[in-house]
Amino acid sequence: MSSPLKPPQGDWWEQKVNRRESIWLGLSGLWSLLIFGWMSGFTRFGDQNPIGETIEVEAEEYQQKVTDYMAAGEEMADGALIPPGEDVYIAGLQWTWLGTPVVVEAGTEYNFHLSSLDVQHGFSIRPEQALSKQMNFQVLPGYEWILPMTFDEPGTYHVICNEFCGQGHRTMHGRIEVVESL
Amino acid sequence: MNALGLFDNDYGEDGFRTCSVTGLNIHRSAENHVKLFGLTAVVALLVGGIFAFTVAMTRWELVGLLRPGEFYTHLTLHAWNLLIFWMVFMEIAILYVGGPIVLGRKLPITRVAKAGWVTMVLGALTINVSVWTAGGFPDENAPLLTSYAPLESPPAFYAGVVIFIVGAVVAALPFFLTLWRERRENPGKTLPLVAFGAFITSIIAFEALVGGLITFATTLLWRIEAISFMDPAWYRQMYWTIGHGTQQINLAAMVTVWYFITHVVGGAEVVSEKVSRTAFILYLFFINLGAAHHLMSDPVVSSGWRLFNTSYAFYGAAFASMIHAFAIPAGLEAGRRKRGKGGGLFGWLTSAPWKNPVFSATIFSIILFGFLGGITGVVMGQMQVNMTWHNTFATVGHFHGTVAVGTTLAFMGLVFFVIRTMFKRNLAFSRLASTQPFLYAGAMGIVVLMMMYAGLLYGVPRRTAEVVRNIPGTDFSLSAAAPLFALLGIFAVFAILAGVVFVLVAVGSLLLGDRVRPGDNADLRAISVAADGGQSSSGEEKPVHAYGMRGTFLVTLVFLAVFVVSYVLNWYLLTELWQVGL
Repeated sequence: MSSPLKPPQGDWWEQKVNRRESIWLGLSGLWSLLIFGWMSGFTRFGDQNPIGETIEVEAEEYQQKVTDYMAAGEEMADGALIPPGEDVYIAGLQWTWLGTPVVVEAGTEYNFHLSSLDVQHGFSIRPEQALSKQMNFQVLPGYEWILPMTFDEPGTYHVICNEFCGQGHRTMHGRIEVVESL
Repeated sequence: MNALGLFDNDYGEDGFRTCSVTGLNIHRSAENHVKLFGLTAVVALLVGGIFAFTVAMTRWELVGLLRPGEFYTHLTLHAWNLLIFWMVFMEIAILYVGGPIVLGRKLPITRVAKAGWVTMVLGALTINVSVWTAGGFPDENAPLLTSYAPLESPPAFYAGVVIFIVGAVVAALPFFLTLWRERRENPGKTLPLVAFGAFITSIIAFEALVGGLITFATTLLWRIEAISFMDPAWYRQMYWTIGHGTQQINLAAMVTVWYFITHVVGGAEVVSEKVSRTAFILYLFFINLGAAHHLMSDPVVSSGWRLFNTSYAFYGAAFASMIHAFAIPAGLEAGRRKRGKGGGLFGWLTSAPWKNPVFSATIFSIILFGFLGGITGVVMGQMQVNMTWHNTFATVGHFHGTVAVGTTLAFMGLVFFVIRTMFKRNLAFSRLASTQPFLYAGAMGIVVLMMMYAGLLYGVPRRTAEVVRNIPGTDFSLSAAAPLFALLGIFAVFAILAGVVFVLVAVGSLLLGDRVRPGDNADLRAISVAADGGQSSSGEEKPVHAYGMRGTFLVTLVFLAVFVVSYVLNWYLLTELWQVGL
C-alpha cells in the first residue's frame, strides 16, 4: 500500500504514472503557459494595462504641483475644474480627493497623476450608470503615478477610496465629469 | 499538565502508544504539545468568530450593527484572530504531527516548544489588547491586517506582532530538530509524504516569518521614532512577504492535511509519490512569489517584475496546485476502488463516510478551496484583471474561498479527528457534529459568492463600514448592491451558527464527551492497520496507479472548464472598460 504516512517502498521515482494523471499534467501545464502568454501579450496589444511611469515626489512638492495645476485650470460654475492641458492631477488626502471634481473630454487621452499627501489611499473609479465597469489603483504618498486614460463614454464617474485611511475613510468621494467635448 | 484529564492517555514504559486509527507510534511529548497548540487555536477561532458576527452584521447595512470607528477595530480583531492566531497555532500542531508523530519520534526540546507557545500567546494578547484599546485617529488607528505605513497604529501593536512572530519561529524549532535527527539517523531513507509536506510547509513558513520579522521590527522602530523615514512602497513589498506568505503556509499545511485525512478516514493512497512530491517542490520554489499579487495595481513596481512574480514564475505554483487537485481525489478514488468500495464512475465517492464530519469537512474543503479560492486567486492575480478586483469586496470573497471554506474547514475536520484520536473522546452532539461541515460549507460558500459579486459587479470596496446605502457627503451610493448584502448577511448568520456548532461540539466533547473505549473509533479507520505496508494475502498486489481514476478525471475536467469560463468572463469584463495605461 502506498501510504502518505510511511516511507515509499521500492524505487518510487520509477513508478508509473496513471495515464489520466499524465493527461491532466499536460493540460495543466498547457493552461499555465497559455494564461501567462495571454497576460504577457496583453501588455503589448491590450487597451487596459495598469502600467504607467512612477516618479518619486515629496508630499509638499506634489501639493505644489496640484496647486499650480488648479490655478492654471478653469473653474466651472459648479466648482468643477477644467484642466489646463491633458494632464489631470489628483491627490488623496484624509478624507478627500484633491483635484476633483474635474471635467474631461471623452475620446481624449489624459495623463492622470495619482499620489497622496498623507497615507495610502485607493483610487476606485466607476461611471454612475454602470457600476460593474470599475477600476482600482493603489495610491502611495511619496510616489506620483502617471496613468494615461481615455474615457470613451460621457457621464459622471465617481471615485471612492478603497484603501483604509482612517476614521473618515468611507466619506472620501470625488467626481469626474466626462463630457462629449470641452 | 493534566487539566480536566485531557492530557492522560495510556502510554507504555517508554512513553509511546500505538494509535488504533492510524497505526502510528505516538510519544506523549509530541501528543501533548499537539493538544496544547490545537486547543489554543480553537480559543482564537472562538474570539475571531465573535468578531465575524459583528463585522458581517455591519456590512449588512440594513442591520448596521457597529459605528465606523468600532467597525475597523472589530475587523482588525476578526482578521488577526482567525487568519493568524487560529491558523498559526494549528500549523505548529500540524508540524508536530507531520514531524515527530508521523516519524514515530519524541518531540525534542519540549521546553523550547513551551517557550514558543508562551511567546505566541503573549504576542497574540498584546495585539488583541492594543487594538481593542487603540484611541483611533490620528495616530492610533486600527491596523486592520496590513497596518499599511504611514498610517499609524499603537506602538504596542507592532511590538505584539514581533513577539508573536518570534514565538512562532521558536515553536517551529523542535520540528526542525526532529527532521535533522531523523535524517542523521536514517541517511538515504525517504520521508513519508506527509512528513515531506510538513517539511516544505515549514520552510515556506520560515521564509514568511523572517520576512515579517524584518518588516515589523523596522516598522516598530519607525513608529517609536528610532528611525525617521518609512517608504510605503518598501513597506508594501516587505509586508506581503508575511502577509501572503502566511497564506501559503495555510495552503501547504492544508494540502498536507488533505493527504493525511483522506488516507486515514477515506482510504486514499498516494497514486504517484513522484508527482505529488514534485508538486510540493514547486511550492517550495515558487509559491512565495505570490506575495506580489497585492502589488498588481500599484505604482513603483515594474511590469516585468509584476508579470514574473504574480505568475509564480510562469505559473509554477498554480501548476503544482492543479497537480494536487488531481492527485488527492485520485488517491481517494484508486484507494477505495482497491478496497472494493467503488463501483461505477462515482461509487468511491457515494459510498464514502459522509456522516463522519472529519471526512465531509475535508472533502468540502478540497472542493470549495479549488473552485472558489483557487480559481479566483489565479484569475485576479493576472496583472490586468487585478484592476477590477483590487481592494474590492471580491478580494474578500477570494480569500474567504481559500482560508474560510478551504483551510478553516479542513482544520475543523482535523480538530474533530484530534478530539477522537488524541483526546480520546467521542464527539458530543454527534448528529449535530455530522451536519456541521455541510452547514458551514454551504452557508459560507454562498457568502463567498456574494462577496465576489458585490465587488466585481457593483464595485463595492472592502474594509468599509458603510458605502452601499449611503456615502456621507454625496448623493451617490452603491445601493444597487443592497440585495446581495441581504443574502450575504443571512448566510453569514448561518455560517457563524455553524461555527458555534463547531465550538459547541469541540468543547462539549472535551468536557462532557464519553471516553473512547476499544472499538469506538473503528468507524474512523478506512485502512486496515495490520495490513499496512504489506502485500495482500492473495500474493501480488496491483499497484495503486493501475486502478481507475475516471471519476477524478471527469471532476478535474469540470474544474478546468469552470476555470476557463471564469478566466474568459473576467477578461471580458476588463476589456469592456475604457482605455488605461501605457
